[in-house]
Amino acid sequence: MSTAMNFSSKSFTPRPPDKGAFPLDHFGECSAFKERFMECLRQSGYESAACRQSAMAYLECRMDRQLMANEPLEKLGFKDLINEKSEEKPEKS
Amino acid sequence: MSTKGEKLQASEGPPGAAWRNLRDNQDKQDNRDNRVPAGPGHPSVPGPPVPCARGTATPPVPPPSRPVPPPLLPVARGLSPESPRAAMALCGRGWARCARGLRLGALSRPGPCGTRGVRGSNPFTRQQEEEWRRRNRSAVGYIAAAAVGMVGLSYAAVPLYRLYCQATGLGGTTAAGGGAERIERMEPVRDRLIRVTFNADTHASIQWNFKPQQSEIYVVPGETALAFYKAKNPTDKPIIGISTYNVVPFEAGQYFNKIQCFCFEEQRLNPQEEVDMPVFFYIDPEFAEDPKMAKVDLITLSYTFFEAKEGQKLPLPGYQ
Repeated sequence: MSTAMNFSSKSFTPRPPDKGAFPLDHFGECSAFKERFMECLRQSGYESAACRQSAMAYLECRMDRQLMANEPLEKLGFKDLINEKSEEKPEKS
Repeated sequence: MSTKGEKLQASEGPPGAAWRNLRDNQDKQDNRDNRVPAGPGHPSVPGPPVPCARGTATPPVPPPSRPVPPPLLPVARGLSPESPRAAMALCGRGWARCARGLRLGALSRPGPCGTRGVRGSNPFTRQQEEEWRRRNRSAVGYIAAAAVGMVGLSYAAVPLYRLYCQATGLGGTTAAGGGAERIERMEPVRDRLIRVTFNADTHASIQWNFKPQQSEIYVVPGETALAFYKAKNPTDKPIIGISTYNVVPFEAGQYFNKIQCFCFEEQRLNPQEEVDMPVFFYIDPEFAEDPKMAKVDLITLSYTFFEAKEGQKLPLPGYQ
């Protein structure tokens, strides 16, 4: 951690997360989704943009199992994925 | 007058002897024999009259120990040493006050010049003195007000500085606004690819096995990303851990925003339990516009777990 002695240089101050802490997944209910996400990451060379679908699925799993506060996915930065989904659905139907 | 005082100093014997003689009305013989050397600090004797400060540079000479005859000056003028007029001669200009002190038998030590005799007698200097006193008083008032103002300012500085930091974003404090609307509206900056590496540490006393599940991840500013850590409790008793994080480089830390993570809250792991700990974060799009961040393409996120003991109150940033 940064020493407190430096007055001139900027020091790092940890900030609390915006939405608080994740409750622990003691029973491994969303482990499958996590595995899928990790697999995707390894395949894509650890590029986050390629695995956003899996990330969204994991967060949805958490929300379903009360391991995360329910929040519309647009607010979590998945707006483009939601729009894609809604575009696909009218196309299919 | 002052010269007279000096002369008295130079002459033999303490000038105070004359005072004592007059007050006690003792026998001349007794005085000569029982005369206590009136040194300063002697408890029963008031001591010799202190010559007035003006004009005399020499400190009062301590009187000799052996008894000495009274000062010569009044005697030379044909006065006896015990007479009041001798005392008046000793006083010099301020003799009226000295006489008053004589009659009252005052224990105070009016000097040969009298108490403030020189300054108070002249009406012009008195006026000036009053003027100076008045000015001094107003100056003291101003200074006291300034001191109180400084103390108040130092107390007010704390919330003021906090407001200033929030307004200007100095020192990494972000504006109070932010939150979900920003995440919703932010657009990813595709041309800046940043490599985020993960590091996991444990404090020496905690027996968890704590490691990241991916060593690195490539993100762009403005896009949310998910990463995982894994923690295992290999012992046979539940352990409560609490973690904090660090971002290197420090200046990039202000752009590193966590939506949700597992830090700053007590996490309890049962014996032989293993859990996945996710971190959901994003890098602020303004990162791309900061000239200081132009060369930065590696950010390291480091978590450290500590053991939380019962009844221990940890200072958590931003939490009440």
